[in-house]
Amino acid sequence: MRPAARGLLAAAAFGLALGGCASLGGGPSEPGAGSAPIARDPLAARHRQQAEALERDGQLRRAAEEWKIVLTITPNDAKARAALGAVQARIDQGVIERLDEGRKALARGVQVEARRKFLAALALDPSNRAAFEALQSNTREVEFIAHTVRAGDTLSALAQRYYGDRSRSEVIWETNQLPPNPRLQPGTTLKIPEIPGVPFVHPEAPRRPAPAVAAVPTPDMPRPAPVAPGPGTAPATPPGAPAPKEEYTPEVNPLLAEAREAVDRSDFADAIAAVDKYLAGKPGDRDGLTLKKQALYGQAKSQMDARQYTESIQSLTQLTRLQPDYEDASALLKQARTRNIEMHYTQGVRFYREEKLKEAIAEWRLVLDMDPGHANARRNIDQAEKLLKGLEQRMKK
Amino acid sequence: MLIGPSARRRALLLGGAALLLGACASATPAPAPRAAGEPPKPGPRPAAYQSDDFIVTFAQAGDTAESLAERYLSGADKAWMVEDYTGLRVFTPDQEVVIPRRPWNPAGVTPGGYQIVPILTYHNLGEQAKGRLVLAASSFREQMRYLKTNGYRVVSLADFVEFTRLNRQLPQRSVVLTFDDGYHSFKDFAYPVLKELGFTATLFIYTDWVGAGRAALNWNELREMAAAGFDIQAHTKTHADLRRAQGESEAQYARRMQAELEQPQELFTKNLGHRSQILAYPYGRWDEGLLPKVKEYGYIAAFSVRRQGNASFVRSLAGHRSQIYSEMTLDDFVKNLNVFQEENLR
Repeated sequence: MRPAARGLLAAAAFGLALGGCASLGGGPSEPGAGSAPIARDPLAARHRQQAEALERDGQLRRAAEEWKIVLTITPNDAKARAALGAVQARIDQGVIERLDEGRKALARGVQVEARRKFLAALALDPSNRAAFEALQSNTREVEFIAHTVRAGDTLSALAQRYYGDRSRSEVIWETNQLPPNPRLQPGTTLKIPEIPGVPFVHPEAPRRPAPAVAAVPTPDMPRPAPVAPGPGTAPATPPGAPAPKEEYTPEVNPLLAEAREAVDRSDFADAIAAVDKYLAGKPGDRDGLTLKKQALYGQAKSQMDARQYTESIQSLTQLTRLQPDYEDASALLKQARTRNIEMHYTQGVRFYREEKLKEAIAEWRLVLDMDPGHANARRNIDQAEKLLKGLEQRMKK
Repeated sequence: MLIGPSARRRALLLGGAALLLGACASATPAPAPRAAGEPPKPGPRPAAYQSDDFIVTFAQAGDTAESLAERYLSGADKAWMVEDYTGLRVFTPDQEVVIPRRPWNPAGVTPGGYQIVPILTYHNLGEQAKGRLVLAASSFREQMRYLKTNGYRVVSLADFVEFTRLNRQLPQRSVVLTFDDGYHSFKDFAYPVLKELGFTATLFIYTDWVGAGRAALNWNELREMAAAGFDIQAHTKTHADLRRAQGESEAQYARRMQAELEQPQELFTKNLGHRSQILAYPYGRWDEGLLPKVKEYGYIAAFSVRRQGNASFVRSLAGHRSQIYSEMTLDDFVKNLNVFQEENLR
C-alpha cells in the first residue's frame, strides 16, 4: 500500500472520530477480571444487545435494567457502566421534564394532562417520590363521559352499557353523589367516569386516544367529553359550532360507524379510508374530523412503534395540520423526526463500514436535508467524499 | 493501481469504528471480542452471577419460580419476584434466569400502563346464599380457588397500604380480601378455606356488633383470628354514615365522630393490644369534610366501596373496594379482578 493512500485513510478515520458521544459505543466489552471471560461473553453480549435495542426504542428504564444485568455478568465492563450512566442521565432528564410539564399543567388547571405527565415520569422512574406524591395529592380528576338521562334509564343499564358490567352502577352512583335507590330524572346529566382496568365498551367511546376536542355528547353517541372543563381544556362545544338541536340523534352513518370500528381494532388505514369517504360527502363534518384525527394519531403511533418514521411523520404532519395542539402530536412529530434522523445517520455509518461510500453519503445527505445543522453528517460526508475521490484517482492510474 | 483490498478494509473499519462513536450509540453493536482464528470455548460457568441488583443463573431440572426464590431470595414467598420479572413460572434445565434482588417497580407504573389492586369485600357467609350479603360458602370456596389457580396473589391490606406509600412493590396480580362487620360466619366458613389456601384477610369490625349475639364474633374469637394471622381493623362504633348530617352542628358532628372513630380505638387497644390504623367507611360513604377527622383519630388509610381497583397512587383515605354479592356468578366475580390499566405513558 502506498503511503499517500494510507495517509488519506488515516486522516479519514481521525476526522470522523471527532464529534459525537463516545461513551455509548456498542464496542466489545472488557472481560471480567480474572474469571472465565469466554463463558460470560455471549451471555453478557445478549443482554448488551437487548439494552441497546431497548434504548433505541426509547424504553429507557428497561434498558437501564439490562445494563445492570450486563454488569452483573461482567462487573468490570467499563463501557456498560458508562452506558448505564448515560441511560440514567437520560431518565433523570426525562423525569425532570415531565414533572415540570405536569406542574405547569396543574398550574393551568388541566388535571387530566398533569396526571398523564406525572404518570409518564413514574413510568420512567417508578420510584420517583415527587411524581408519586404529585399524582396522589394533586390530580383528582379522571376522564369521564357525560350522559344525558333518558326516560327508562337505570344505573344498572347505564353500567352495562358503558362498562359491560351492571354492578359498576355503584361507581356511577358514587361519582354523582346520588341518594340510595335514586330515580333518574330525564334530561339531567350524569358523569360516567373512567374506571381503571375497565375499558369503556361503548363503540363510540374508544379509550385511546382520547380526543382533545370534546365531541358533543348525545344520548346515542356519547364520547369521552369532560363535563366541566377546567381552564385550558377544550370547551364541550367549540365557539361557532351549532348547538345540537335534537335530543335524539338519528342512526349513525354507516361509513362513520365503519371508521369507528376500524379505529377500535387499530386498523387505522381502513379507518382513514372510510372517514375520508365520509368527509368527501360531508366536508368539514365535526364527527368525521374528530374520528380522522383519532385515526391519524393512532396510525402515527403504530408507525412509530414499527420504526416507520417517515410514514409516522406524514401522519403526524397531517394531524397537526388539522389540529396543531392535538394530544401530544407535536411532541411526537418532533420525536419521529429525531428518530428518523438518527436512523438515517446510523444507516450511513453502516454503509460506510461496508465500504459503500456512495450509499453512506446519500444517507447523510438525507440527514442534512432534515437537519441542515447536523455537524457530524456534514463532516462525515466531507471525509467520505475525500476518500472516494482518493480511491477514484487511484483507480484512474 | 488499486489499494490492496485488505488494507483498505482495515482502514475503513477503523473509520467505521470511529464513526460509530459519532452515532451516539444507536449504531450496531460490535461483536464480542474473540482471539483471531480461535473458536469460542465454553469456559467454566459459575452457578450464578450476582450483583446488588440482579442474580443471573441457570435453571436446574424441575425448577420453578418457588424453587428459585427459595434458592436465591429469602424464601418461596418471593416467588412472585421471579415470576413477575421473567414472566415464567416453570423453567427448563439450563435456561438462563434473571432474578431481581430488590424491588424494580414500586409504583407499578410502566410505559404501557399501571398496576391496579382489587380489594374485595365480603360480608356474611352461610350454608346457602340469602339476600345479597349472605354468600353461599360453596361460592366463596369457588372464588378463592379461582384466585389460586389463576395466579392471583392475596396480599395483606397492610402491604397494600405500604404500596400506596411507595414503600413496597406488590406482585403484579395482587388481590386483597376484606370482611366487613365481624360476622361469626367468617370463622365458620371463610377461615378454613383461607387457611387451606394460605390466604390472609382483613376483618373490618364495628365495635357495637362485637359479641352482640351468636351471629357476631366476640373479642376472644377476634384475638384467636389475629393470632392465626388475620388482620383486624375498624369499621366505626355503630356503623353509621360518617358524613355530616343535615342540620348537624359542628359540635354535634365532632362529638359523633369522636364516638365513631375514637371509641373503637380504645376497645382495640384494650382487647387486641393495638390501635386500628385502617378504616372502612360504613356503606362506603365519605366526603371531603370527613377526611380531616379520620386523620385526626390516627387512621392512615380508609376505604369506600366504590367498585374499582386501586393504583399505587390512590389517595390513601379514599381507597376503593369491590363488594362481592351472593347473586354474582363466577364470571361476575372475575370482572372485579382487573390488575392493570392500559395507558400509553411513553
